[in-house]
Amino acid sequence: MVPWRFLLRRLVMLCGSVVVASFLVFAAVDVAPGTPLAVLSGGRSISPASLRILEARYHLNEPFFTQYWYWVNNALHGDLGISITLRENVSTLIAQRIWTTAGLVLYASILVVVIGVAIGLIAGLRRGALDTGMVVVTAGAAALPSFVAAIVLIFVFAVRLRWFPALGNGVGLLSNVWHFTLPAIALAVSSMAIVSRVTRAAVREEMGREHVQTAVSRGIPTGQLIRRHVLRNAAIPITTVSGITVASLIAVAAVVEVAFGLNGLGALMVQSAESKDLAVVQGIALLLVLAFVIVNTLVDLLYAMLDPRVSVGAKA
Amino acid sequence: MTRRVWVSLSLAALLVVAMAVAGCGASAPTNSTTTSATSTLVTTTAAGTKPVPSVTWALYRDVNTLDPDFAFDDPENTAVTLMCESLLRQAPDGSVGPGLATLAIPTPTTYVFTLRPGVKFWDGNPVTPADVVFSITRQMDPKVGGFYQAMFTRVQLVQATGANQVTITLKQPDYWLEGELSSIPGIVLERSFVEKEGKNYGAPGGSIMGTGAFMLKSWNTANGVVAIPNPHYWDASVKTPLVQQIVLRGFAGTASLSSGLLTGSIQGSYPTDLATLLQLQQSGAVKVYQGRCGSTDALVICSFKGALGDVRVRQALSLALDRQAVIDSVYHGAAQLPRWLANPGTFGYGQSVFSAAYDSSPAMKQDVAKAKQLIQQAGAAGTTITIGMSSGMPRSVGDAAAYQAAGEAIGLNVKFRAVSPANFINFFIDPKFREGVDAFPTTNYGDYADPAALLKTVVLPDGSQNFSGFSDPKTTSLLDQARSTADPDQRASLVAKAEEAVAQQLPWIPTVQPNIVLVLGKGLTGAVPTFSYMFAPWANQLGGR
Repeated sequence: MVPWRFLLRRLVMLCGSVVVASFLVFAAVDVAPGTPLAVLSGGRSISPASLRILEARYHLNEPFFTQYWYWVNNALHGDLGISITLRENVSTLIAQRIWTTAGLVLYASILVVVIGVAIGLIAGLRRGALDTGMVVVTAGAAALPSFVAAIVLIFVFAVRLRWFPALGNGVGLLSNVWHFTLPAIALAVSSMAIVSRVTRAAVREEMGREHVQTAVSRGIPTGQLIRRHVLRNAAIPITTVSGITVASLIAVAAVVEVAFGLNGLGALMVQSAESKDLAVVQGIALLLVLAFVIVNTLVDLLYAMLDPRVSVGAKA
Repeated sequence: MTRRVWVSLSLAALLVVAMAVAGCGASAPTNSTTTSATSTLVTTTAAGTKPVPSVTWALYRDVNTLDPDFAFDDPENTAVTLMCESLLRQAPDGSVGPGLATLAIPTPTTYVFTLRPGVKFWDGNPVTPADVVFSITRQMDPKVGGFYQAMFTRVQLVQATGANQVTITLKQPDYWLEGELSSIPGIVLERSFVEKEGKNYGAPGGSIMGTGAFMLKSWNTANGVVAIPNPHYWDASVKTPLVQQIVLRGFAGTASLSSGLLTGSIQGSYPTDLATLLQLQQSGAVKVYQGRCGSTDALVICSFKGALGDVRVRQALSLALDRQAVIDSVYHGAAQLPRWLANPGTFGYGQSVFSAAYDSSPAMKQDVAKAKQLIQQAGAAGTTITIGMSSGMPRSVGDAAAYQAAGEAIGLNVKFRAVSPANFINFFIDPKFREGVDAFPTTNYGDYADPAALLKTVVLPDGSQNFSGFSDPKTTSLLDQARSTADPDQRASLVAKAEEAVAQQLPWIPTVQPNIVLVLGKGLTGAVPTFSYMFAPWANQLGGR
């Protein structure tokens, strides 16, 4: 059964988020200091005549709400506007870079979900040194911000050991994977640690439950026990925390892209925010909001699949 | 329990090692001596001899436009000069010679350009006088809004006067125009192509048409500007480039740039932030060259209303400044003590005249005692000056701190007005923004190798960077005479006199004279190691060693 009402409500929420976000981003960029003209001139002085021509060309001298209205009107017609500094359509700029960001976030998400859950599972099932070590390591890793991880990874694995490249995207799938490995690890490391800790705790809790103990005493094979009795029930908290952390990767990707010289959306947004290139910031921010809401919706749908007691859209 | 302790300890040890290792990378050893800059300045690097499939060249940010009318900063200039050529050509030593055309000046107000035989664009079309007229007129057109309009104020008429001849008629003699036309403002565009592209000319969505030995293959803002050799280059005396592809891309941050260079992801750059210079110099993975530069690091005195309106206070501040500390800590050795506002790297003509005059001027050395005397004479002790700076711009931080130390050593109070990097431009363009600010640091340059190119913007009453209203009739008249003087040596001697006067008057206080830093991957050689890369082709001889 398709949960139409739930999807409809989510769609309304999505539209609301987009409208609010677009206004906030527009206002924030407008209030932020600086002028896009600084980038055009590289910080040298330009003649007043040139300045006036450029201001008129990009509507920079018009009031805030007029500028916002231009943008909304165009966006409703599917035109996200033109980058001031690059004189290129924002949609083209996004199209050129979306796969870098999508690939990076996907790679990091796979690391978070697969490795994070695996570590948590092992630690949860086996007590002892391995478990203790994982608790300690993940405690440190969970507190490691991506930009620090990036610096350490580049220095150790790119500059010193030369196992991975320090910068760039690479050409072709294999080369892409090779180039994206360090960035994906840098992006994933703290989320991976959090997911593994939650998994460990959830597995521990399920292992102590009566029905699991009963199953053990009845001699059900370990593999089946873990799959059907432990993981199935531990899946709800694991899915929740994975969903939240994966969604957060979308936002943090910008930091990693800049550190590794990847030409993704985040790096472009940072660059555009610095040069006050409003249309670009706006376009990318809205895309990220969209991705965030969609990921969260998917997680909600997963709940219902995992636990029949949860009906989609019920007020929890 | 013991195990748990062991695990924690080993983890702690691991973290310490990782941090120590990372720390070593970040801070380069400080015991190395800063090599004397002057002795190692180069004007060429050995030409490449072997083909190279692809070179990634790093810029401090991505290129924003390939339209020369709007190329004004390092990334755009680097990309444009790689592929496009001007009417005249600036050599690596700054001297001006024939480019796409040769120049004759039959009367002081007539410039006659004769196109060299066989000059043609990448598409095979010949360069015509109509293209030249179009290009110059476009630079001058206020509707286009190009950044170089002010350079053409003495031009009356540009017209084709023959099958391969263009004549510029001037309202008054203007020997500075020659320099401008050897630089970005002199780049020749193909009229039909520009008109076809319209607004898209030089934008990522459009294309460009040039004449250079490299031609544009693609420009995608995500993957950078890609240039490849032009198989039909017009100048048969120039060998086809050995580098099969140059990719120009922006890399944010010094850390990315240096790790890219050290690991070979980036093979070349003219870095502007020198924080990792020593690390690069000591690495076997790259070779670092230092060459003649045309830019000056200076303190712009933007208002004479405060204490700095008194020339004695300006002189005192200059005398109290520890320039060697700036050279060591901000430039890591890649700069020199100034004698004039002009960097000696700008001596593109009359070189012997300039050099003799320059060498006889005193180097600006620290003399705190004398500075204190001047402050006393001026009665300025205890007054406050405000310096505009941005904590997001490392060079501005270093310079501002040096001036603060200097001011406080002689009894001035020095305050900072800190702004964001994005706002720093407003010190240059918005008088309201400058209100209450006495001075701000800059790295500044003219468009060609002539000390007057920067000086005219600073000291002439209508100079584009004369913010304080500085006016010295003697300097103005020297520069006016120079602009109208045909003989290079005589012109040089007039400009030198102006520089000497300005070094006393200090409308701007020269901080240091930077060197150009060129970093090449160890397998590469042949890039131009001087400031002329900003104005003329720089990679024609780049190749493997």
